[in-house]
Amino acid sequence: MNPGQTYLSLEEPSNADHLWRYSPWKKVHPTGNIKEVPENFSQPEVSLSMLDGSKAPDNISILKESITTKENSYSDPVSMNFIDAVSSKNKFTLKVDKNTILKQPVLLKINLGESNSSMNLTMNIGRHCQFELVTQIVGSAPWFGLIRNGEIGEGSVINDVLVGQMNAGTLMRVDAINIGRDAQVKAGSISSGSERTKADLRYMMNENGGNLRVLGSILSANEMHIDHHVEIHHEAANTFSRLDWHSACGGNSRTIGTGMLRVADGATGADAGQLFHNLLLSEKAEADSIPELEVSEHDVVGCGHGTANGPVDEEQLFYLEARGFNPEDAKDALIAAFLNSTLSDMGSDLLHQWLANNLQDELKSLTT
Amino acid sequence: MTEEAREAVGDYKAGWHDPENSTIRFDAGLSEKVVRDISELKNEPEWMTEMRVKAFKHFDDRPMPTWGNMSMLNEIDFEKICYYLRSSKATENDWDDVPEDIRNTFDRLGIPDAEQKWLSGVTAQYESEAVYHSIREDLQEQGVIFLDMDSGLREHEDLVKKWFGSVVPYSDNKFSALNTAVWSGGSFIYVPKGVHVELPVQAYFRINAKNMGQFERTLIIADEGSSIHYVEGCTAPTYSTDSLHSAVVELIALPGAHIRYSTVQNWSANVYNLVTKRGIAHENSKIEWVDGNIGSKLTMKYPSVILKGEGAHAEVISVAYSGAGQHQDAGAKIHHLASNTTSKILSKSISKDGGRGSYRGLVTVSPKAQNCKLNVVCDALILDEDSRSDTYPTMEVANPTARCEHEASVSKVSDNQLFYLMSRGHSEEEALALIVNGFFEPFTRELPMEYAVELNKLMALEMEGSIG
Repeated sequence: MNPGQTYLSLEEPSNADHLWRYSPWKKVHPTGNIKEVPENFSQPEVSLSMLDGSKAPDNISILKESITTKENSYSDPVSMNFIDAVSSKNKFTLKVDKNTILKQPVLLKINLGESNSSMNLTMNIGRHCQFELVTQIVGSAPWFGLIRNGEIGEGSVINDVLVGQMNAGTLMRVDAINIGRDAQVKAGSISSGSERTKADLRYMMNENGGNLRVLGSILSANEMHIDHHVEIHHEAANTFSRLDWHSACGGNSRTIGTGMLRVADGATGADAGQLFHNLLLSEKAEADSIPELEVSEHDVVGCGHGTANGPVDEEQLFYLEARGFNPEDAKDALIAAFLNSTLSDMGSDLLHQWLANNLQDELKSLTT
Repeated sequence: MTEEAREAVGDYKAGWHDPENSTIRFDAGLSEKVVRDISELKNEPEWMTEMRVKAFKHFDDRPMPTWGNMSMLNEIDFEKICYYLRSSKATENDWDDVPEDIRNTFDRLGIPDAEQKWLSGVTAQYESEAVYHSIREDLQEQGVIFLDMDSGLREHEDLVKKWFGSVVPYSDNKFSALNTAVWSGGSFIYVPKGVHVELPVQAYFRINAKNMGQFERTLIIADEGSSIHYVEGCTAPTYSTDSLHSAVVELIALPGAHIRYSTVQNWSANVYNLVTKRGIAHENSKIEWVDGNIGSKLTMKYPSVILKGEGAHAEVISVAYSGAGQHQDAGAKIHHLASNTTSKILSKSISKDGGRGSYRGLVTVSPKAQNCKLNVVCDALILDEDSRSDTYPTMEVANPTARCEHEASVSKVSDNQLFYLMSRGHSEEEALALIVNGFFEPFTRELPMEYAVELNKLMALEMEGSIG
């Protein structure tokens, strides 16, 4: 069966499954008719360059074909097959040759235009690479579906940041990334644009010694509905993961963060933790967190999770006001600091500066 | 320590069974006729019969839950369960009048002895009906009502009609519908305004027969400014076939009242324990669930509190031990509906010999509830490679003034702690038992001392053979 046929053979996912509890599939489907698999989605404009605008070197390229090295079986079948089906003509591969080491971050820009579009991107990152990748999504499409599927090669050190800056519409994102042996990965997500975001991010650590940090800076304002589900599977021994997720919610918006840390039997020495922090900025904003753990191995370094929700801290506000900030500036500074604590961890100073500059306008919309 | 423990509690000390001397036993299986027959047998008012029938229809229509341990849940064969079994003709208030075999059972469980020493009142339920019931005279004189639920309905119908199903409606879930359809026994308590019941009252639930379903219903109303501590214990014989325990407990704490509800559940490993427990806390009242889950095959129990009145407080302290073949799926739910409400959840679980412990929780803060504070802590220990621990907490916060914290950890017993205790002369097994008792200490310190001692001994026994 092709992905479209597989999708149509599946039942509508149940709301009892927390992946779909807050954003049911029919609400994020492009037409709302879940039995429909549209065929005429446009192809986004994809460009690859260095962050300073210079040309990317030859050992990193974007190919208009899918080069899959490993199949994944741990993604949600509904969203994966659906996006795969509507992206049948929009398959790309980001190919990075082994031993590629870049000092300047790489920018993969995805411009959606104004019509529904989709993309299936295979990440094929070779062994012992070291670089930073920023994937920036811009445009006014009513709906965009994105699969990022692939693997980070053995021993590679990668900072992979995705910045969602759609003007409006729905972003449906599915990540399924294998972390290679001894690879060190920082996976950052910044969500600031789309009215509705449904992201299902899954990381498979099935080779020894993988080290993963998943970081989120979520700015939700107005009527936004931003739902991120992050799963980290520890299948191999001596793997390490941390999830640190910061959401600031203003207006009538709602953010949802659901996490699943799964430590399989045999994943000895696993060290896994997840933290969700939510800052509520208005009376009508809502933040929901479900950090879940399933641990089937007793010989672990530790597995833990936590969440914290609260308003802007009165004492911190007072501290800044006592030092000359007016109340609004003090609040803005604290919100920026809250989001920046994960943002600054996502990569180098160069990358951080670029992110901070790009997010100024979004930050203003959150605080006004 | 372990020899002492064995002497005290034996191998699942409550696992014996008496010959079944039922006076009335319904055939296995559930139908509207069974529901009506139970109601008729109890000579209930019509409104209760109608509620039972509606609940039965809801149970019949509603599918099984599609979450949790579905493979275990789907093993329940509702047609093989006996829904009503009476072993004595009446509820007595003198142990001498209780049939001898049943009295012996409760003697072996130590209930009459405990009653004399440290309880304000006792109800003892055997199969479907309470067989013994008593309350201290001074409390009776102050207007405290402590009855089995059937007597409560007969003698205080207005109160029961007002509150029954007001906290847990039959349509809440499949098992609350089942309980409402076939409930029998349980406790009915009303504490008048300003009365403080100093010593705990206790209910003891015993299933003796095979393939038995026990569906007690408990309703506790603490009027303004009153307080009560209710303790329940549960045991059953060990059979190769399964039994079902599906209770509903409703607590109502009116303004300024305080209810503490403590449970030490030690069902045998063939009992499905699927219980709905919920309380409503009005202004400045306090509801505490102190919940210990040691036995059963599958427990699904999430004691809940609806913080309806301003300044109300809720606490849930729970521990779970999951041994071979057991799944303890326990947790807590707190709904902050009013301003300045506070809550605290502390959950501890231990998994051993292939057992599975799950914490499943829900905390919500409604948009109008200002300045709420809540704290959730779950800790789990996994003692061997065959066991498993899960944590499924949900937090939904819709008010920006709320301060919410949740933390959880899963770990193994620290080698450093074991080494420290062994270097001071304890065997490895004793050291492990001490660490486990220490792990459970936040729970045991909230129990009446006699329960705490018993629980520590029980845990020491469960830890036997953990090493090597």
